[in-house]
Amino acid sequence: MFSRWNWVACGFYLVLNICSPDASGGLVQSCGHIIPESPVLALGSNFTALCILNESCLDFGNIYASQIIWKIKNRVVPKEQYHEINRTVSSVTFNDTSSLATPLTCNILADGQIEQNIYGITVTVGLAPEKPKNLSCIVHQVSRFTYVMTCTWNPGRHTFLDTQFRLRYRWPEEIFPDCIPKDVNNSCTTTDIQFFVNTEIWVEATNALGKAKSDPLVVDPIDIVKPLSPQNVSVNPELLPTILKLSWENWISDAVMTLKFNIRYRIVGDKNWMEVPSEDTASPRTSFSVQGLRPYTKYVFSIRCMKKDGVGYWSDWSEEKAGITTEDQPSKGPPIWRIIDKSHSPAYWTVHLIWKALKPFEANGVILQYEVTVRDKSSLSTPVKKYNVTSTNHTLQLPEGTYEVTLIARNSVGASPPSVLLIPASNSKAPVKNLRTLPKHDKLWVGWTAPNNYVLKYVIEWCLVSSSSDCIIEWQIALGDVQGVELKGIKPFKCYLITVYPLYADGQGSGQSVKAYLKQDRPSKGPTVQTKKVGKAEAVLTWNHLTVEEQNGFIRNYTILYKTIDGNETVVTVDPSKTEYTLSSLTSDTLYTVRMMASTDNGSRTGPDFTFTTQKFGKGEIEAIVVPVCLAFLLIVLLGVLFCFNKRDLIKKHIWPIVPDPSKSNIAQWSPQVPAKHNFNSKDQMYPEGSFTDVSVVEIEADDKKSFSEQDLKPFDLLKKEKSTSEGHSSGIGGSSCMSSPRQSVSDSDEGETTQNTSSTVQYSTVVLNGYRDQTPVQVFSRSESTQPLLDSEERPEDHAGGADSPAQRQQYFRQNGGQDEINTDRPRFERTKQITHADEGDLVGFVQLQISGQSSQPLGLGMEKNTQEAALSNVLQTCTEGQTVRPETVEENPLSVDEMPKSYLPQTVRQGGYMPQ
Amino acid sequence: MAAAESPSAALRRRDLCSRGIRLAGKMRADVVDLLDAYVEQQGLDASASVAAMEGVPLAAVERWDEQTGTQRLLENLAAYRAFRALLAQMLEEQREQLGEADAGLGRALAAVLLQVSAFAYHLEELLRLESRGIPGEEEEDGPPPPPRLSLFEQKLRGLGVLRELAQWAVRSVRDLRQLAKPSPATGTAPGLAESP
Repeated sequence: MFSRWNWVACGFYLVLNICSPDASGGLVQSCGHIIPESPVLALGSNFTALCILNESCLDFGNIYASQIIWKIKNRVVPKEQYHEINRTVSSVTFNDTSSLATPLTCNILADGQIEQNIYGITVTVGLAPEKPKNLSCIVHQVSRFTYVMTCTWNPGRHTFLDTQFRLRYRWPEEIFPDCIPKDVNNSCTTTDIQFFVNTEIWVEATNALGKAKSDPLVVDPIDIVKPLSPQNVSVNPELLPTILKLSWENWISDAVMTLKFNIRYRIVGDKNWMEVPSEDTASPRTSFSVQGLRPYTKYVFSIRCMKKDGVGYWSDWSEEKAGITTEDQPSKGPPIWRIIDKSHSPAYWTVHLIWKALKPFEANGVILQYEVTVRDKSSLSTPVKKYNVTSTNHTLQLPEGTYEVTLIARNSVGASPPSVLLIPASNSKAPVKNLRTLPKHDKLWVGWTAPNNYVLKYVIEWCLVSSSSDCIIEWQIALGDVQGVELKGIKPFKCYLITVYPLYADGQGSGQSVKAYLKQDRPSKGPTVQTKKVGKAEAVLTWNHLTVEEQNGFIRNYTILYKTIDGNETVVTVDPSKTEYTLSSLTSDTLYTVRMMASTDNGSRTGPDFTFTTQKFGKGEIEAIVVPVCLAFLLIVLLGVLFCFNKRDLIKKHIWPIVPDPSKSNIAQWSPQVPAKHNFNSKDQMYPEGSFTDVSVVEIEADDKKSFSEQDLKPFDLLKKEKSTSEGHSSGIGGSSCMSSPRQSVSDSDEGETTQNTSSTVQYSTVVLNGYRDQTPVQVFSRSESTQPLLDSEERPEDHAGGADSPAQRQQYFRQNGGQDEINTDRPRFERTKQITHADEGDLVGFVQLQISGQSSQPLGLGMEKNTQEAALSNVLQTCTEGQTVRPETVEENPLSVDEMPKSYLPQTVRQGGYMPQ
Repeated sequence: MAAAESPSAALRRRDLCSRGIRLAGKMRADVVDLLDAYVEQQGLDASASVAAMEGVPLAAVERWDEQTGTQRLLENLAAYRAFRALLAQMLEEQREQLGEADAGLGRALAAVLLQVSAFAYHLEELLRLESRGIPGEEEEDGPPPPPRLSLFEQKLRGLGVLRELAQWAVRSVRDLRQLAKPSPATGTAPGLAESP
């Protein structure tokens, strides 16, 4: 308890000691202090500090040196660096001051816990100044009488301390004020300069750690002067055209220094300076005449100066002043060339004389005019013509011949030597050989091999090739001993046509041309390709050449790239001269994408894509398929027709079998009780009134007229039966053909209806196919050869009644052929009728014409009463039997005479296995 | 002049003579310029004649060509020491009269003063080479200061000082050329061709 109170009292005492004013009047009296007080230390040196405690604090607070703790900033210094010298003094040692920092404090650890600061110092670490080196001085002339001296030096390493530099200089008996630099530590400028006295100059560097002094520089300031450049420079021409006089003022008096000079000059526009030899300007002067200049040329001059003995510095160059030399006569004649236009008339030339303006150094002045003289060498009597021209071209109309043109340029001083151009009648001399070009930087070199003969000079023509404008010719002349020139003004990526003409003393050689580029680039666009023709496995591509402006170089090749949608790209290289190419081995019916690339030496450019689809079939493939198919079809048809023709009897037999004539049948003789049943009602139904659709004319060949059997014509008989008794013997037969209409044909397939529609079918099937009383039916048709009329029983009244029962139908049938109505008004003729039968005299209104071709074309008419509306054509026969055309003809009302009518039917199909007369 | 002179001493003497000649020439040119500025600044007539004044050494001398080199050096040194004092007094008077109003004239006066000092240094060095003792300056026990002059008198005296200094500059050049001439005994390099 006591100890605790003791430490509290000790702390309170310390606070009082620190905070209370001491007896001497100070505000603070600490319990100790550190020596040295705020030292400045050399970097890297060792340092020892002592903390000394006051005795008063020892007595009251039990504070001893052993309790001292040293700190750098807030970091405790290791105890190993402490040394307790006695009970009141503790030291700390640092082997390297670079580890030090500010502040360094001395602290007490009171009661083992409370740390109390006793004292602190600020430690400054730095370096002593190094010896300034490389001191040098220069005296600048700033005005006519004012000079300043600027000295510079190397201040050495950074000292980390405030270091003062001062420039000092003196005479042996005079010390001048120091020059203290402002804001810098390596230079100083002073105005206190006295020439012609050796002055000792040095630099002193001073800081807290020391002082350094540079080596002294002993110099007479006059030897380090940089004078002002000569002022008010002027340039004036002299009488001679090659001299200009340069004048100036020196701003430094001869009393101070004598000067030498340096003069430079150049032509305006030229960057290269020329200098007057230094030995010519080594003496003091204020003017100099520069010689060897070009006439009528603008020169720029500049001048500088320095002390004559060369000790010191050159002044800056003076301002530039320009002057122009006077004119002189032109030194050479203008280069001349011609362009001959023979297009108007071969015998009369349009000669465009062109020449180049002389270069300034050749013209030596302003060219006032050109004098052109033309002499006809082929005719000595022709007077010489002279022209005064102010432009650089002249056009003449000359007859074809050889001319000598002389050109002179004239300025205000005189005339140039003449330029002579020989215009021969023809350029028949040897040309140059091996013409070639080579780009050289931004110029195009044109070289050639000289002809064997002596060449006076060469003319090199060139022009920019353009697709849109004419070739504007530029040209230049080269001497005869050169074999190459460099063309200037050539643009890159442009095509030039270059032509070289050798000029001989007695004529001119023909020109040799070459195309060239200064630089090549890849084309500015690619060719646009399209198809000219597309086949199954090939496609013809076509494109246009790129214009010369688009080429940007020589097109070395075209490349065609094509592919299918999902296929690999195929590349084909094409000669650049071609504009068409055929792609082969393509897949049919496939979409292809093709593009084209033009390539120069410097790259390629691809044109737009083009797509096309190959065809599914190749050329002729469709024809190869269709034609054989058609031929085969036709062949089949033909064979069918032939087959039908050959088998017509068989077909005929199957379609309308031969029906025996009942009238000639023996059946009627041996079986009169069972007359053949003729269902004439069916005929009425077959040809109902109004259902008559057509009128057919059956033409029968003469040879085949018998092919119309009586059976065939029996229906006509039936129609005619009641009108002519002589005709009543004929039995009805269904006339038909393979092409007849169903109503007219006899069909076995319609058995159910034949009894109503086709009388012949019914009667024949009944008669032939059914056997009689247990007798085996005979598979031949039998026909009666009797000329007697049919039995009454055979002509059943119901047949007629049936036929008259349907007048309306017949009428309807007739009306459908209304066009025939009026025709029936004519009295038809009847010539040769095999058999015409009236089904019902009262009902028969229609007519039938039967014409037998080959015998007579007279119609076979069947006249009908026109007063009845129920008349109908009973039947229309139309046969397609080969060689026969059967058509109905008008039947006259007057029946044919008996003599004219056939007495009986003859077997008509004997040859074909038909029935035989019984 | 020493009969036997080491080559280095001869070179040193020649160098000193050369620089002295050029310094005297520049000094004369600067004094002439200063005279124009002074006359204009002080409102004096450039053609005004100024009588000889006490304390201002006169450049004119009889039998100049009969003088020895040492004699020439001594007379020159005495004259320039006098001019140094006179110019220092003029500079002080100038500052009192014009303050900083005409710093240009003050700077020109100071420059001439420095040149006078430098020339005196050259003469002293030459005298040392001549192995002659350098006479002490008479400042400590010199003549009493001149009586207080009026402002106009100060201006006139300044004009007289500058005019006489210009004359002395010309004479000094000639004296140094004489000194620079090679001594037959030493066989030194020929004299300088420089002229102010």
